[in-house]
Amino acid sequence: MKAEQNLSYQVEPFQTEDRPRRFLEAFAAILKHSNYGIVLDFYTRVSAKCSRCTAACQVYQASGDPRDIPCHRSELLLKVYRRYFTLAGEAKARLFDAFVLTDEYIDEMAEEYWRCTACKRCKATCPMGIDHGMITHLARWILSEIDVVPKAMVVSVREQLEGDSKNTSAIPAIAMKDTCEFLEEEIEEEYPGAGVKFPMDVEGAEYVFFPPVSDYLMEAETLMGNASMLHVSNVSWTIGTTNFDGINYGLFYSDRMWERIIKEQVAEIKRLGGKKMLIGECGHATRAAVEGMQSFIPPEDRVPVVHIMQLAYDKFISGELKLRENVIKERTTYHDPCNIVRKGWIVDQPRTILRHICEDFVEMTPRGPDNYCCGGGAGTVSIDEIKDFRMTIGGKTKADQLRRTGAHYVVTPCANCKKQVDEIIEAHGLEIQKVGLHDLMLKAIEFEPAGTGGG
Amino acid sequence: MEQWLEWARGPVFRACFVIMLLGLARAVLLNTVSIVSLVYQSRKKGREVAWGPILSATWQWLFPIKKGFESRAFFSFTSMLFHLCIIVTPIFLGAHILLWERGLGISWPALGNLAADYLTLLAILTGVALLAQRVGASASRAISRPQDYFLPMLLVVPFISGYLAMHPNLNPFGYNGTMFVHVMGGNLIFLLIPFTKMSHVALFPGTQLISDLGWHLKAGAGEQVAIALGRENKPI
Repeated sequence: MKAEQNLSYQVEPFQTEDRPRRFLEAFAAILKHSNYGIVLDFYTRVSAKCSRCTAACQVYQASGDPRDIPCHRSELLLKVYRRYFTLAGEAKARLFDAFVLTDEYIDEMAEEYWRCTACKRCKATCPMGIDHGMITHLARWILSEIDVVPKAMVVSVREQLEGDSKNTSAIPAIAMKDTCEFLEEEIEEEYPGAGVKFPMDVEGAEYVFFPPVSDYLMEAETLMGNASMLHVSNVSWTIGTTNFDGINYGLFYSDRMWERIIKEQVAEIKRLGGKKMLIGECGHATRAAVEGMQSFIPPEDRVPVVHIMQLAYDKFISGELKLRENVIKERTTYHDPCNIVRKGWIVDQPRTILRHICEDFVEMTPRGPDNYCCGGGAGTVSIDEIKDFRMTIGGKTKADQLRRTGAHYVVTPCANCKKQVDEIIEAHGLEIQKVGLHDLMLKAIEFEPAGTGGG
Repeated sequence: MEQWLEWARGPVFRACFVIMLLGLARAVLLNTVSIVSLVYQSRKKGREVAWGPILSATWQWLFPIKKGFESRAFFSFTSMLFHLCIIVTPIFLGAHILLWERGLGISWPALGNLAADYLTLLAILTGVALLAQRVGASASRAISRPQDYFLPMLLVVPFISGYLAMHPNLNPFGYNGTMFVHVMGGNLIFLLIPFTKMSHVALFPGTQLISDLGWHLKAGAGEQVAIALGRENKPI
């Protein structure tokens, strides 16, 4: 066992003997039991190395380091696949001096695949449609099966799946309830008569709420906005006290963990007899739930997954959610979290609300499905050891974008993006304040008289 | 030399063309079977394929008028022209159509000689420009394999030799020798298509679909992987 590696992030001690063989065994097992082999076979045939992705990747644009070119990174794994899992690779190896997988090569992959934020911006510019984010995801899964994975990821997932708290921040249910009671009092103090509640363990509620659990620690305003929006819109919702974390880091490094986490979340919805899964302001949690629900949960057990900004938008359009116009006087901009925008899921919904409640709403360029990642995507924001990299390279483009808007508020509806943007603001000395959409909405909500709200 | 030329455009051409067809047919067939099985697997589990966005993306890349200019515009424009020329010129060249007519009795409308000349020159120019942009850009060099340098050079060989063969006053070499290079260049391209990135000539329409289907993850795969690796009971 070895505790230290030549990596820029911490890993827990792992077995160092025979790593190349074990990597290949893990790769082979994944190819055998998953669908990735079909994709890799296709990619190895068509990859044209046109380098159009260089213009799309904000990490490469900032670093100028060839190892950050999406196609270069993907080739690391494709090369292993071609050599060890194709007939041509095997034949070539018998005839010539062929590539051999080494410990150094594994370290190179371990480093490079965790410099990628898997924002998938490069996919849109690839004529061959190569999804470099998928290759990053797969490579990380293989590496995790030989225990080469950032400690920050493992510790969180361990707590969520095997810990007492069942959430990534290890918040006991009693502490979560106390927080919610405190937030109810805060709302009441600020908006007397609002009567907003955080319903707990309500059976048969339409929505079971899964915010990123870090909101309970760091984003009180977002949670107050969430609860207030749900209350005034007469939504039937609840928080489950045995599982209340929307985070699913399996999306970042392991299908195995992804499946286990989504299954636990669905089990909580079933326990409560809930009808829909409501995800808080979080990009990856939404994608992990939407795609995880479709992939890992049997059709008979699936429930619809709804993002809270979609619900807020629907309620606003239907007139159930009343928001005062132009309440926010300061200039406001909006950052698109990659995981909900790239496929066009959540683009105009928050903008419609922001244009209504903000007097001076401005856009960043580019935006929407073509947005730039905050630089903390795919779990990298949780790795404190690489903060310098996230600030000077991963987050540089976003910092420049934010500066150009001259905005006072940047609406950042994602827990990971929030942390990264906060750190960017501090590191780059920006005069801008990060908020969630619901933080601002809270200031604009027209509360009904007490007792008429939902819950 | 005439006998060599006959050999090149007779048995060698036929062999290379058949290998290309069979190789591409194999790749298309295997990938189609894979795609169909993935779609079937998904539908069986109640998951639909997002055909709309996939077909839209496929169409936009087949005719990349808009997409092509969103990133590395000059390179992309060069690439588009190159693709256009190397597809249109050999298929619609009158002399080639005549060969098809003699061999298989099939024909179709041909390009005018002047248009064919211009397209040929444009193919050469854009081919060289593509290579120059690959060599000249450090990012491109960093990701290039030998085939990425070799193929553009190979692809312009039939165009240069074809142009010289059609313009004897510009050709310092003999006709038969030039034509031999022309035909053998084309033969080598046919032969290499299924085994290099040029296979995208047939696989391209499936790229967007396969990337989307890749995210239709298999339920239980993680657990099976853990069992295969003896990690199923290991704590995280």
